[in-house]
Amino acid sequence: MSDAANPLVFKIISECKTTRARVGKMNLPHGEVDTPVFMPVGTQGTLKGLLPEQLQKLGVQIILSNTYHLGTHPGPDILEKAGGLHKFMGWNGCLLTDSGGFQMVSLLKLAEITEEGVKFQSLNDQKSEVMLTPEHSIKIQNTIGADIIMQLDDVVKTTNPDKERIEQSVHRTTRWLDRCLKAHGKPNIQNIFPIVQGTLFKDLRKLSAEDLVQRKVKGYAIGGLSGGESKLNFSEIVHYTAPLLPKEKPRYLMGVGFAIDIIICCAMGIDMFDCVFPTRTARFGCALIMTGQLNLKQKQYKKDFNPIDKDCSCSTCKNYTRAYLHGIVTMHPVACHLLTVHNIAFQQRLMKSIRESITEQRFPEFVKIFVNGLYPQRDYPKWVTKALTSVNINLAD
Amino acid sequence: MKFITKSLVRCAPRLGVLKDIDNEHSLSIETPLAMLYTRGGSIPHITHEVYQICCKDPQIIQIPVVSTYQFQDAMEEYDGSISEFVGMKSCISCVTVQDPGDLTQPGHHYKDYVPLWTRSGKILLNSDKYMDIIESFKPDMYYLLSDGDTNVASAQKRVTKAVDNTIHFVNKCLERHKNSTILQNAFVMAPITGGYCLRSRKRCLDELKSKELIDGFLIDGLHNNGPEVEFLTFDEIKDVIDLVVKDAPDNKLLSVQGCWNPVTIIKMVQKGIDVFDTSYCYIVTERSSALTFSMDKDSNLQGYEINLRQLRYADDFQPILPGCECLTCTKHSRGYIYHLVAVQELLGSLLLTIHNIHHFMKFFEKIRHCIAEGTLSELEKLVAEQFDEYQDEIMQGKEKKLNDENEARECLRLRNHPTLEILIRKRKVGVAIVNKAVLQDQGILMSSCDC
Repeated sequence: MSDAANPLVFKIISECKTTRARVGKMNLPHGEVDTPVFMPVGTQGTLKGLLPEQLQKLGVQIILSNTYHLGTHPGPDILEKAGGLHKFMGWNGCLLTDSGGFQMVSLLKLAEITEEGVKFQSLNDQKSEVMLTPEHSIKIQNTIGADIIMQLDDVVKTTNPDKERIEQSVHRTTRWLDRCLKAHGKPNIQNIFPIVQGTLFKDLRKLSAEDLVQRKVKGYAIGGLSGGESKLNFSEIVHYTAPLLPKEKPRYLMGVGFAIDIIICCAMGIDMFDCVFPTRTARFGCALIMTGQLNLKQKQYKKDFNPIDKDCSCSTCKNYTRAYLHGIVTMHPVACHLLTVHNIAFQQRLMKSIRESITEQRFPEFVKIFVNGLYPQRDYPKWVTKALTSVNINLAD
Repeated sequence: MKFITKSLVRCAPRLGVLKDIDNEHSLSIETPLAMLYTRGGSIPHITHEVYQICCKDPQIIQIPVVSTYQFQDAMEEYDGSISEFVGMKSCISCVTVQDPGDLTQPGHHYKDYVPLWTRSGKILLNSDKYMDIIESFKPDMYYLLSDGDTNVASAQKRVTKAVDNTIHFVNKCLERHKNSTILQNAFVMAPITGGYCLRSRKRCLDELKSKELIDGFLIDGLHNNGPEVEFLTFDEIKDVIDLVVKDAPDNKLLSVQGCWNPVTIIKMVQKGIDVFDTSYCYIVTERSSALTFSMDKDSNLQGYEINLRQLRYADDFQPILPGCECLTCTKHSRGYIYHLVAVQELLGSLLLTIHNIHHFMKFFEKIRHCIAEGTLSELEKLVAEQFDEYQDEIMQGKEKKLNDENEARECLRLRNHPTLEILIRKRKVGVAIVNKAVLQDQGILMSSCDC
């Protein structure tokens, strides 16, 4: 457990000798988190149809919730009365909340970003204009009570070429961080993570990181990626930005969840990931396996009496066949619960394999085996080869 | 599997036990009981993992062919039984024809066939096709094919036809059963049809009661399934139930299917019915409600049911039913469930299902206890008071007054809240007129019943 004065203690346990990958333990007020970690997303105070008991059984140590959604429903008043989100949803593990800014910009067309904050039309009231300021975001996040909370940042899409605007967002993000830190009401039990911005410009990423590392915080996030840029650009920026952040603090790459991306970014020294992908794809009838994914709607599974993955020990793989799942996917909600369990188990197993291979000094071999499983014809995408070469893994060996 | 009851008195509540279950010799299940209702082979929202967290006792799962028809091709090549296939290996399976939780579309009959409205469209079943499915499913227990498409307003012609069809189906299915090695140990339930015409019911029962291999009877054809069954009163079905219970052979398991309310269930138990199902929990969950009726005179009355869509629960951090030992009540609050329901998160229905099934199973436990103690009438009175009070409450909340058939029809068009509308129609217009209006509206009623 973290002590009262220090709500985040991060310890690096082992490091890969070839790449920058590392295994750590992060102690938070609601428990211990083994890193690298994948955080499943439970947007509205629930992880898509799963009981907290099931999450625990899956070994999930931390989940992510969205401030924007929770601020709308049930709203801060109810959460305050309930004594925070942990109590409200019956989850005793760790929680991380985003700032709400990303949803404002992505969900609401009419959002306008000013120095004061993000101005948007409320969905609740009579379309009145509402302003989400850094102070407001932190106040809601203080009420929600997550172990890690995120600063409100000024997000610019990676596909936006306007460098002037991006530079402005970098500076504004730092100013907003200072306002967030000042407004933070529970520094003893909640940690604010700043977010490095700068889209695809290395100089701006550097500027952003250098500003942020001067603040007294316990960990950092890399934001503004995974938003439509090419994989080549994406991996290059992660590779460039990660070492700009202090080695002894956890690094969180926001919005990344595909297995191959996670593995490569772990090799670049990232410790935390989150993504809706595993749970969202479950709802569309897709099950994740080490060599890709199965779309269980396809006819080929009609008489397939194998589990989704014979090496998976989740309750879905232990009790159900592909044939049965094929018969109920996208028809009955129970199918969605079953695939969600499997997909989270998959992410957990992936992260565990990554951690174990790092600890046992065989991470580069693990990466090669994984990549060759995904591309059995050895037709690796260029970005994969390039990204791995940058961390001293040569697939041609 | 065998059904054993020591009770020899007719038309009286009875305790019994199902035992000598294939592969599960040590297992025995007490009656009266509720089978666990499934759709597509799963209890709505409940995975095997959650089932194991919530259910400790052995149970029977009710598997309607209408929602599992799509598994037939796979089942023909699958080694195990249907309960294994649907991930509920530890449960006893009972295959039925129609789905009690959904309105079965009436009509569309063809000679010697029963129409089945599956998700992929209409499928016509005859005895052979049906028995092919049953043989591939390898259930522990099943209902023989029946034509149960009758209700309180059915014309005599339809009733007669339903009985003719059913007798024909049963004979054919029994023939197949006799020659089937796979089904050797399966428990066979024969349907008794005939709508509300006592002569037809008697004809059906007389024709079938002396047949070999039949272990029990289903009183079918009382309704077309779905949420409306909740508001069928015992007075309406009493004569039919009486007739079947009086004339059925000794030691046969007696069952009805459908979303009956707990008051009607107790009344049927008092006549000697042994088997029901939990489809009622499904329709209660679908309207975002939780059953809270008390089964104990001394406990605090919470009201019959609470609807978690009501704003008053938004900041109510009590459990649904204080003192309830289900997982939902021990771990989660009304406020949390209100939130989940409001934002349409699936966990809301899951938590409500856990509570409702738990409460319903407790209710059956209580029924069995009361039979043993001879206090079933007191339980009936207690539950009826709460049920009636709740219906009155809903009524008061609705200003609209309905006096005649036309208004009942108008109401039907406003089917925003079907059960509420049905309730109003029943209370204010009288059962007969309303049923007639409803059924005419749905094009079901062909000519008046002259039975």
